Amino acid sequence: MKHDPRTDAGLDLTLSEISALTTRATRGAGRSWGEAEEAAEAACWLARAGLDWAGALLEVLQPPEAGADCALRTGIALADAAALPGPLVNTPLRVNSPCFLLPFAARMADQTGQRIRLTAAETRVVLAPGACPLIASPGRMSGPAQVTLAPDQQDQPPSPDWPQTHRGTVIAAKYARLTQLMMAFTVPTSAHSHAGAGAQGDDND
Amino acid sequence: MSCEGLNPMPQARNFRRSPDEVMRLVRMGCSHPTRLSFLRQLLRRMQAEDWRFDRPVWEVDARGVGRAVYRAIGPVRTYSLVAFSHDLPPEVRSDRVIATAWDATFALFDGTPTPADLDRLAANVPLQEAGRISPRELSLSRANRSVRLFDHVLARLAKGAQPDAAMLRETGYLMRTTAVYGSGKFGAADRAAIAQRPELSAPFQAEMLSVWLTRAFTVDLVEHLARAKGGEKAARLSPELKSGLGVGNSTGLGMAPFLIHHPVLLNNWMLAREEALARVRAQASIGADELAGFQAALNAARENADLWTSAHDIQRAKLADLRDSLARIAAHVAQGWDQSAAHPWDDLWRWGCEALPLEGQEVLLAAMLEPHGALIDGLGECMDADEGTAFPINGAMPVGELRAILRAHYDWALGIDYTERAQCARFWYVSEDKLEPRLGERHEEPGAERELPLDTGRQAAALWQALQDQPEDQPVAHLLMAAPENRLAVRRAQITARHPFAEIRDNLIAAEMLPIDILRCKLAFFGATRFDPRSDRWVRISLFQDAPYPEDLNGGGDEA
Repeated sequence: MKHDPRTDAGLDLTLSEISALTTRATRGAGRSWGEAEEAAEAACWLARAGLDWAGALLEVLQPPEAGADCALRTGIALADAAALPGPLVNTPLRVNSPCFLLPFAARMADQTGQRIRLTAAETRVVLAPGACPLIASPGRMSGPAQVTLAPDQQDQPPSPDWPQTHRGTVIAAKYARLTQLMMAFTVPTSAHSHAGAGAQGDDND
Repeated sequence: MSCEGLNPMPQARNFRRSPDEVMRLVRMGCSHPTRLSFLRQLLRRMQAEDWRFDRPVWEVDARGVGRAVYRAIGPVRTYSLVAFSHDLPPEVRSDRVIATAWDATFALFDGTPTPADLDRLAANVPLQEAGRISPRELSLSRANRSVRLFDHVLARLAKGAQPDAAMLRETGYLMRTTAVYGSGKFGAADRAAIAQRPELSAPFQAEMLSVWLTRAFTVDLVEHLARAKGGEKAARLSPELKSGLGVGNSTGLGMAPFLIHHPVLLNNWMLAREEALARVRAQASIGADELAGFQAALNAARENADLWTSAHDIQRAKLADLRDSLARIAAHVAQGWDQSAAHPWDDLWRWGCEALPLEGQEVLLAAMLEPHGALIDGLGECMDADEGTAFPINGAMPVGELRAILRAHYDWALGIDYTERAQCARFWYVSEDKLEPRLGERHEEPGAERELPLDTGRQAAALWQALQDQPEDQPVAHLLMAAPENRLAVRRAQITARHPFAEIRDNLIAAEMLPIDILRCKLAFFGATRFDPRSDRWVRISLFQDAPYPEDLNGGGDEA
């Protein structure tokens, strides 16, 4: 592999690296390119918010258990439909990663211009348009779990500022798993491609 | 484009070329650098803001091994090129991405590095992809010597003589970079972290600064080695010869998908250039200074074309077109051009479109822009992009509107039969060994099931088919629920509706598609000259040839 940013203390990836790794790992997990692009955007949003992007990503790339939906696919559908006429549907969803729904709930807030509240068990997160998520009630964000999305009309403290730096940290085991998924989408370079790319000839000009 | 509402010349809109004309690979593959190119923007800013430059560290031994630091000190911030010079055996010298050792390696540091920073970088930068840099670094790069020229210059200078001018002109550089990584690669600062800085807001400014300072390093290194070898009698490179040296660059397929992956950015580059051309064409008269500047630009283009060589058949034919076109332009300007026409630049442009091949038209464009800095340089500030705002899909868009977008912007793609062997002959993929983009032959090589989504035309055609039986008022969100495989095409179409220069309007998997056309377009925006393809998928170019050096700007050099 070309590049391995592992250190003894763990891994700290840039947003560019998170985006590339997520796109490729999602594709390597058998998802469509459309989903891969959305997953990368969502992973970067989570990292900017200081949340566990790698853990949430690995959850959504697992086949969901019976009775739960994929948070990536659910989030995409909800965000796509956000601008349609009609009220936000306030029906409970069961997804494999509540955390991975957050970026899409944020996009719903952007599209509708209203605050959206995500509730999963004891956890409540409020997403205002363009703002960093407000963890109104902290709790477990991993899945599978039942989640409710609804317009938030309660008085809330202001959303926190976006952190100065994103959270790029990923533990080695999660990085290894994502890398393994990523490699499933690569192709061995052919001799023909090698030659055309300059493998033949002397560079000592 | 974000600057549209501030356009001081709305009348220029009538003179714009259409995306259907501009965004074809055959024309993009004839692109020439202009005064809006990124290296020109960098040089202009540094000169206008009176940047200062120094070299606080030079610890290089008589073998050329060691480290150096070059600082660029702006009005608010300082940037430092940290250079590591190595002793590289000839047998391991390779420009390809699989190389593991180079003649010199570099990082552009944000600020002035401490000794501890230098030690950290010394442990990582020479390793390039196998090392790790930090958000304090803005770029990571490496360079190899042009051994024949470097050794010649070294030998001559050591004897107190100047090198052969023809040899210098023929190669054009002492060293060539083989990769310049920025924007979050290998731990470097993300683009978002620096994009708000005025001096780095235009595209690739950190990378351009790194290469420009690398150019100074290459000359310092050869002069240092000449002194080590020749002692007191060693000469320094004459200013005239030194000025003609740039930094070479070997570039392959890796940069080609960038333009497809960044449609809004591509739009903004192209639209800025097209708006610049339109503004010039819209002028009602020709100023004496502009005419003189145009003729000087034509002369410079002719000199450059005379020195520009290539062994590649396609490029040789283009060079013949270019030289012939420049001669015809000069003749027409001298005798045929009606300079009293209502819009004289437009009159010249229209003549060029009738009389010249694409290579000639595009070099005419560059020459026409050259004397109009006051009119067009501000467009450089419109060439970055906030791509995040363009990302969300508008799920409320009715299918009828999406269909109209495809009809208006993807006509080039909808009539192609992508099941024909030649129309789907290629596939783009990421290589297992280096995680780099590659181009495969679909009908001859395995791996097409893992291809990258650069088949933009085929995707648009598939979306067009998917829309055929859908009600006009059905929202896109419902379409994507039923047919999620069209998601990429929907996003690109919605982006292109707002950014009409976002899409290369050609089949990127066709047998006759030339990746070097994509490379030439991108490299022209960088400001590259001497485009010299070595195959249909990798090239050598030169950057900063005939540009000032840091010491020239310290003293207030010529306009960039």
